[in-house]
Amino acid sequence: MIQLDQLTKSFNKKLVLKDLSLQVNNKEILCLLGPNGCGKTTLLNLISGLTPQDSGNICINNQLVSGQTPTKKINLKPSERKIGYVFQTTSLFPHMRVEDNIAYGLKALHLSNNEIKTRTNSLLEFIDLSEYAKYYPHQLSGGQKQRIAIARSLATQPHTLLLDEPVSAVDPQLRESFRTELKNYLRKLEITVIYVTHNLSEAYIMADRIAVMGKKHIEQTGHPPEIFDNPVSSYVARFLGLNTYTGRALGIHDNLLEIEINGIHLYAEASTKLTEKTIVTTIKPDNITISKLGAPQLSDKPSNSIEGTITEMVQMRSTAQTTINIGFPIHARLQINTIKELGLSIGDKVQVCFDPQSLNVFEDTDT
Amino acid sequence: MTQSVSDPKQTNLTELENTTPKKLQNFLTLIDKSAIIILGLIVITYFIFITLPVASIFLNLDPTQIGTQLQNWQVINAIQLSLYTSAIAALLAFTLAVPSAYFMATRGFPGKTILDTILDLPIVLPPAVAGIALLYAFAPKGILGPTLTQLGITIPGFTIAVILAQAFVASPFLFRAAKTGFENQNRDIYNSARILSGSQIHVFFTVSLPLNMRNIISGTLMAWTRAMGEFGATLMFAGNLPGETATMPLTIYTLLYSNQTGAILLSIILIALSFTVLVIVKLLEQKRFGAKK
Repeated sequence: MIQLDQLTKSFNKKLVLKDLSLQVNNKEILCLLGPNGCGKTTLLNLISGLTPQDSGNICINNQLVSGQTPTKKINLKPSERKIGYVFQTTSLFPHMRVEDNIAYGLKALHLSNNEIKTRTNSLLEFIDLSEYAKYYPHQLSGGQKQRIAIARSLATQPHTLLLDEPVSAVDPQLRESFRTELKNYLRKLEITVIYVTHNLSEAYIMADRIAVMGKKHIEQTGHPPEIFDNPVSSYVARFLGLNTYTGRALGIHDNLLEIEINGIHLYAEASTKLTEKTIVTTIKPDNITISKLGAPQLSDKPSNSIEGTITEMVQMRSTAQTTINIGFPIHARLQINTIKELGLSIGDKVQVCFDPQSLNVFEDTDT
Repeated sequence: MTQSVSDPKQTNLTELENTTPKKLQNFLTLIDKSAIIILGLIVITYFIFITLPVASIFLNLDPTQIGTQLQNWQVINAIQLSLYTSAIAALLAFTLAVPSAYFMATRGFPGKTILDTILDLPIVLPPAVAGIALLYAFAPKGILGPTLTQLGITIPGFTIAVILAQAFVASPFLFRAAKTGFENQNRDIYNSARILSGSQIHVFFTVSLPLNMRNIISGTLMAWTRAMGEFGATLMFAGNLPGETATMPLTIYTLLYSNQTGAILLSIILIALSFTVLVIVKLLEQKRFGAKK
């Protein structure tokens, strides 16, 4: 288990982390998700001891590895913290063979040659690269190098593995398969993992739990679906690519909260406590459906059905990111099939519908 | 197809000709052409300026005399002394400059920039100033003089003074090369080693040093050649005593009016050495990890 308590760090008077607290449970894979430059790598460097924090405590496995006790200051060396660290760039020692790379930490521990050999071999087996023992790093692919970097960091049997965007060292066309491979290895390991990424789908695939990092602190933690369904701040919602609007809660009608965004009235299943407050509402692009103008309403309950104009369509693999202006722009992810069936194109007037349940409403704390 | 492609070009050209007066255009072309010729002449002049003096040394060598000169005790002594002192000076520079470079490259501390600048100083310092500075530090009346005298050590006028002068002037070349190497070492590789190994010394010898070998070797070679060529500081601090402090450059100076062939032979040896070192350094700069098959 890792416990970070009120970590603060600045570089040249520029605050990078402020009072950051986070708990990572035993044997869980926690994805630290956030945009580039939000301080994710800095946080890993603090945990590993490569960079000292300005203030705050770091506990690994209930042991204070860095911070202040009532009586003294503690700051263990990186090598004493029982962590493994896989870096963003391929950080293998270029002048050593694969087996010597993996054995590096073991040799530093002055283990017997037999012990080193056994452990190195079993790690090579674990990452399925036994036949590459005698190779030099420059003879391997990006994915192989990162697997070896993982094996090397595991050699000293750490309690925790830190991975900093490990996929970015892999060729783009191989990233998807590498992700799956990596996930299998990490699951098999059964150790605590902190996995840094700025990629949403990667976090979704890898994580037991996601911690979304905002400017200088953790914005939200939770299981992947939880975060995507219930973002707690407009920052998280925007980062996750949800439609995010600021508006006002007006009152209750038929057990639904009526909200107003830019003059448009919407209904949401939300707490009545929000009435009369400035709120943030989010809608997932997947929860929006589109029909031709004048199509019959499916139910007679108050629902959100608004007329709008298609302003943009970006085709992806099997879906299209569609932007519709309904008084404000709203993004919908539509199946290509649907678009073909309805014969939609830019400039068309359409009916935009979404369930009151699909709206997530919370009080605006960002402003 | 081809016509439609070439057509717009032609219209463009005619337009240009119409807008720029023909005379001016010819004049501009002329300037352009002559600029290239002038540039060529400058390059040739520069090349001659550098190579002519070097070549003239070779042209003045009487090959029949080489055998006799190689038995001249002054020449032999100078070669032996220079090889011996410059090697020790390079070793001394290596011992002091490489660890210091590592420290300066990997640690931050107040006053680092000032210290760094001071350590680079001998590169730009006139050798005569270096000589007088060494005298005021190590001569019997210098700052360390009384202590050294008490210990029974006299430096000026002896071979050790030659070594100190050479190391003083030459070590910054190695320091600089090594520091640049350590500063540019891949952070992630270095940090990986730090996490896996608790010992800084182990990390230094297994990762930092081997990965910067090219820089260090070329720095050492540069320092060695500089030590070999040291003249001013040696003359002032160590004197010009045959067999004791008269290195090759100093002997060239001594022999200039008495035994020109000897002076020429020594010069040629120094040229050959410097040239070889430059070639090796250039080769080292080109070679990269992973480039080998």
